[in-house]
Amino acid sequence: MEYVDSLTGFRLDGRRPNDMRQIRGEIGVVAKADGSALFEMGNTKVIAAIYGPREVQNKGQQANNQALVRCEYSMANFSTGDRTRRPKGDRRSTEISLVIRQTMEACILTHLMPHSQVILIEFLVHILLKFFMYFLPKICFLQIDIFVQVLQADGGTRSACINAATLALADAGIPMRDIVTSCSAGYLSSTPLLDLNYIEDSAGGPDVTVGILAKTDKVTLLQMDAKLPMDIFENVMQLAIEGCKAIAHYIRGVLLENTKQLECRRGI
Amino acid sequence: MLQSKSFVKKTKQGRVVKVVREHYLRDDIYCGAPSCKVCDTSASRLSNSASTILIVDTNVVLHQIDLLENPAIDDVVVLSVVLEEVRNKNLSVFNRLKALCTNSLRKFFVFSNEHHKDTYVKEMVGESPNDRNDRAIRVAAHWYQSHLGENTQILLITNDRENKRRAVEEGISAETVESYVRSLGKPDLLDLVVLSSSADVNMEDVEDHRPSKKKVIYSEHKPMSEITSGLLCGIYHQGKFRVNRYNPFEAYVGSESIGDEIVIYGRANMNRAFDGDIVAVELLPQDQWHDGKSMIITEDEDDEEEDVHLAPSSADDAPRSVNPVQPTTESVPPVSNRPAGRVVGIIKRNWHSYCGSLEPMPMPAGNAGVAHALFVSKDRRIPKIRIQTRQLENLLDKRIIVAVDSWDCLSRYPSGHYVRTIGQIGDRDTESEVLLIENDINSRPFSTQVLACLPPLPWSLSSEDLANPNREDLRHLRVFSVDPPGCKDIDDALHCKPLGNGNFEVGVHIADVTNFVLPGTPLDEEASQRGTSVYLVERRIDMLPKPLTEDICSLRSDVERLAFSVIWEMTPDAEIVSTRFTKSAIKSCAALSYVEAQARMDDSRLIDPVTTDLRNLNTLAKIMRLRRIKRGALTLASPEVKFQIDTETHDPLDIGMYQIREANQMIEEFMLAANISVAEKILNHFPLCSLLRRHPSPTKEMLEPLLRTAAAIGLDLDVSSSKALADSLDRAVGEDPYFNKLIRILATRCMTQAVYFSSGDLSPSEFYHYGLAALLYTHFTSPIRRYADVIVHRLLAAALGIAKLPPIFQDGPQLTGIADNLNYRHRNAQMASRASVELHTLIYFRKRPTDTEARIVKIKSNGFIVFVPKFGIEGPVYLVPKGNNGSDWVVDEAHQRVTKVGTNIRYNILQTVKIHMEVVEPQPNRPKLQLTLI
Amino acid sequence: MGVMAAVGGDGDGELVTPGELLGDSSKMIAGRGAYVAPNGRSVRASLTGIRRVTHPQPDAADQRSIVEVVGHKAHGAVPQPGSVVIVRITKVMARTASADIMCVESKAVREKFTGIIRQQDVRATEIDKVDMYLSFRPGDIVRALVLSLGDARAYYLSTAKNELGVVSAQSIAANHIVSRQLLTVTVILRYC
Repeated sequence: MEYVDSLTGFRLDGRRPNDMRQIRGEIGVVAKADGSALFEMGNTKVIAAIYGPREVQNKGQQANNQALVRCEYSMANFSTGDRTRRPKGDRRSTEISLVIRQTMEACILTHLMPHSQVILIEFLVHILLKFFMYFLPKICFLQIDIFVQVLQADGGTRSACINAATLALADAGIPMRDIVTSCSAGYLSSTPLLDLNYIEDSAGGPDVTVGILAKTDKVTLLQMDAKLPMDIFENVMQLAIEGCKAIAHYIRGVLLENTKQLECRRGI
Repeated sequence: MLQSKSFVKKTKQGRVVKVVREHYLRDDIYCGAPSCKVCDTSASRLSNSASTILIVDTNVVLHQIDLLENPAIDDVVVLSVVLEEVRNKNLSVFNRLKALCTNSLRKFFVFSNEHHKDTYVKEMVGESPNDRNDRAIRVAAHWYQSHLGENTQILLITNDRENKRRAVEEGISAETVESYVRSLGKPDLLDLVVLSSSADVNMEDVEDHRPSKKKVIYSEHKPMSEITSGLLCGIYHQGKFRVNRYNPFEAYVGSESIGDEIVIYGRANMNRAFDGDIVAVELLPQDQWHDGKSMIITEDEDDEEEDVHLAPSSADDAPRSVNPVQPTTESVPPVSNRPAGRVVGIIKRNWHSYCGSLEPMPMPAGNAGVAHALFVSKDRRIPKIRIQTRQLENLLDKRIIVAVDSWDCLSRYPSGHYVRTIGQIGDRDTESEVLLIENDINSRPFSTQVLACLPPLPWSLSSEDLANPNREDLRHLRVFSVDPPGCKDIDDALHCKPLGNGNFEVGVHIADVTNFVLPGTPLDEEASQRGTSVYLVERRIDMLPKPLTEDICSLRSDVERLAFSVIWEMTPDAEIVSTRFTKSAIKSCAALSYVEAQARMDDSRLIDPVTTDLRNLNTLAKIMRLRRIKRGALTLASPEVKFQIDTETHDPLDIGMYQIREANQMIEEFMLAANISVAEKILNHFPLCSLLRRHPSPTKEMLEPLLRTAAAIGLDLDVSSSKALADSLDRAVGEDPYFNKLIRILATRCMTQAVYFSSGDLSPSEFYHYGLAALLYTHFTSPIRRYADVIVHRLLAAALGIAKLPPIFQDGPQLTGIADNLNYRHRNAQMASRASVELHTLIYFRKRPTDTEARIVKIKSNGFIVFVPKFGIEGPVYLVPKGNNGSDWVVDEAHQRVTKVGTNIRYNILQTVKIHMEVVEPQPNRPKLQLTLI
Repeated sequence: MGVMAAVGGDGDGELVTPGELLGDSSKMIAGRGAYVAPNGRSVRASLTGIRRVTHPQPDAADQRSIVEVVGHKAHGAVPQPGSVVIVRITKVMARTASADIMCVESKAVREKFTGIIRQQDVRATEIDKVDMYLSFRPGDIVRALVLSLGDARAYYLSTAKNELGVVSAQSIAANHIVSRQLLTVTVILRYC
């Protein structure tokens, strides 16, 4: 099948190879959560909710003086065309949960408990910590729960989940080193394509999902389950990074707009 | 820039699923007219001064593609909605349209109306997809008109009456194809216009001259819905319709549902199906299953009969055995157990254009010069085609190309239209051209883009090449080549050096084509498309441009050339001690012909180094060959014919069988060894994407004709394995020297052809090469003339770490596609070569009626098929005058002989007979070779 | 607000998002909502909010400014018109009662928000006969609805609905007084 029309250069849905789908982000969609966001990439729609920082509920889970980030990914039964009941915690969702958790852990500075916050920052300033682990200076262990649910799936759910989680974390006021954004890119019909939709995703070609810290230019996620020659891979990855940056730019806009409105409400 | 619009689509995937897809509408799609002031004109394709821009409707593209391909039609806008519809309806037309749109000489522009924000239309409630698409076309036409203003006329070309009416109502100028072409004032273009008989066109536009035969000749095709349900419940069977190459009134449909081939006899049962169509077949009641008619002559009033042709070289070329296994007890009436059927519907047409000539007819009077003529295809499987022409007198003695348009059940013949003229009938160039076209061989000169990829000439070995650490300097070796005389594309050379330990170092050096043909270049694309060089009797159609084929890559003597070498250390017993591969630079010291090489080896007085090397190589080759045969390799024979061509007139002076010498076998042996070594190496490195060559074992049914013949002459053949077969072929020695060869020829034609494949597509047990009895085989040794070898060179270079593996190898389906194309091209090249030989045979015998000896290879009820060893041809000899079916000859199937009733005159299979060969012309413009018994 | 007193200068008041560069660590100390990047040089934001720079006292040992990001979540929830809040009465006057907002919906606020319940907003009927002193006492916990952003100092609150009003109060004798809607109270108390 031809995924890029050789005559017009358009993809099946009318995008050019370097075009992203339309993205939209909205903050504060779950009132109960400490932070929440909705993120859409084309027809992929994902909701994320953050609970915490709160005290570790299950003491058994806390380990090694380490802040606990938990993530639960799930797909709504109505998210795809066929409404099959999918079991909770199947391999795929466990894997994606893990991927999102690791990606987000890489950017969350720590839970900042209101009272120990200052001490902790001091601590951070003086002793630089390892990438993922933040040792807490005190007895109190906290956890952050990230729930992401796919409401509508049309390819690139993993990226959309990460973007939604970022927005939600920022909304929850959890300190982060940077905004993590993610975007996928693939290689079909001998062309690198940005932001694959479901049809392109299921074409079976190589598909690279990249997550980056936009300002600091660090890669926090890189996944590909196919073989690709190095030079092509670099092109594809570069394309995905461009996509991530565009998303980061958009997310910043959403956050700033949201903050402006809040400030406005507070009457400052 | 992006605007999103989702639309809802329901598809059937067992269940009804709602599919929601995004559809982006954009404002950065340009109109393609250079005169446009709003759009970016850098990508515009239409001509500068276009006063009229044509927008074509889907039905116009589908039916009038031949007209569109004519250079007189230009400045055409192809809408993406049209493109999409064409793609869904007819892929071959789509590919032709695509070629038009990408051809830089033609002014065809693709406008993505479906993604343009102003021309996208949403399906309205109650509107059929067809109406919606028609509306989209009109909206786009309207947009163009208002976009480009009054100076440019936008003309919508449609044959759909409703669409045209609406367009005119909406203020768009619209015309039918006929009236537009007429307005151009070029009468010859009108021949290209397909006159559709459907009600789409206003009757005033079409002058229906067709003889009004209202008799229904064929039964109506069943509607698609009925066919689908019939297929589902097993009443009908789906399959590809294949017409017997040797009898156009008999066809086979391979059906998976009944696991056998359904035979279809006669035009009525074939019900307008063409060769290659996908059809639905209904089985006839069992009592109508004909017993296999082993008549040569066909049943219809059309006097078509089996031609003399070149003896087939494999089962793929040979006619399928018509008669099934006959019950040995002769009391049982010969009821066939082979299902017979009739076509009830055509699922997919395989119509394309055909080469041939017009059936001679008198010039009709009056009628404004419009004449109806019957076209007779060169391909006997194709029925006659009725065409309409205004240039009858020009066409009568020409080879022309005709395309099929329709075939309704009222007319005996399909109707079609003239496409173009090739040339004078009987002219050798015309006929050669015809056989190239028939076999889909691209003989056009290479394009400038392709030629631009060539290195600057004159080319010589540069110091950079030598400085390359991956390239070994082997110029000091005594390398020489042995090829057929006059060979200019020398792609292999050898060397043989005795080592101190008594072993030999043997090197096979293959032209390093991949050093010049880089992946992804136009040169590479072209070579990949052509797939192979084609050798005709009088000319060669190269895969690579001439400078590469004959000079830069060719390993000529006394020049330094780049090579890819396989170097073995071999014991005197020809056991390979070690193998290594390297890119190299060589300098051949001699380019010998087989005859020269043979003469040198045979002349015991010569003791020069090259001759010694030759003798050493020959000794090794003999051992290798023996070992290979012991392992079970088949020594097969095919009657290869060689022409002596007059250098000035290019007419054949003499023909004879190609003689195989020891030197040929010596070279062959080392090439085989090199190919096997390379196959092992690349498969080891790239188990999933190596290009290999396999030869499937023949099935029992395929060997059936051979076994029957063997049984008739009391020969016991063991076909349980290639080894057993090889051994029993060796034992089959008759009283005359040609007997063994004849048996081998018969055996060869029971085999299928070897094919290329990608190692990822099959399991390792299927890699086996039956004929060579090799577990692995590939083609490495002829990269100048075969693209498969180019691929294998790249694989080997990547396996050695010299070069990177091109990305194409990562793409499984694409690699499979390449392998399929190579097989297709390879086969076509062979067919073309054979056709060329047949053509020249005919030319040769035109002036020389000859008496010669022939061998009977097949017994029929009214005659037999003979094989003429001297000329390698095969053809029928009739015992009964044509049309006389009440034969007094009796066929004895078990003993494969035919006896005249009441006499002792009988003919046995493989018997030698004397025949007379003469070219006769029973139908004008169709000369053929006739064989008669003396 | 306390922070606002000592601010001013470079890029102050600008909105930032996590990861954004706030300055160089040789000139800046990362305060709340900011961190020093692993390279030890740049100071970056870790929250979304307003950038605030506090300049050091002229005699301080460290002459670097402190840069902070004041995120909205740092203030906790923010009352908005229409949201139900839990307040503690601080002062009762003849026509108004002022109160501190403690919770917005179910979430505790992190900063001090003041609200005012005006006489006409205490109940829906007979609004002119309301006696503020009989309605509220300082220390009462009251469930109220935010009517509007009010004036610069305080939100306007209302208790003029059945489900609104005092939920917990202390008598002068320090006895616990139960409100008229026991059910709501227990629920709300748990939220508090």
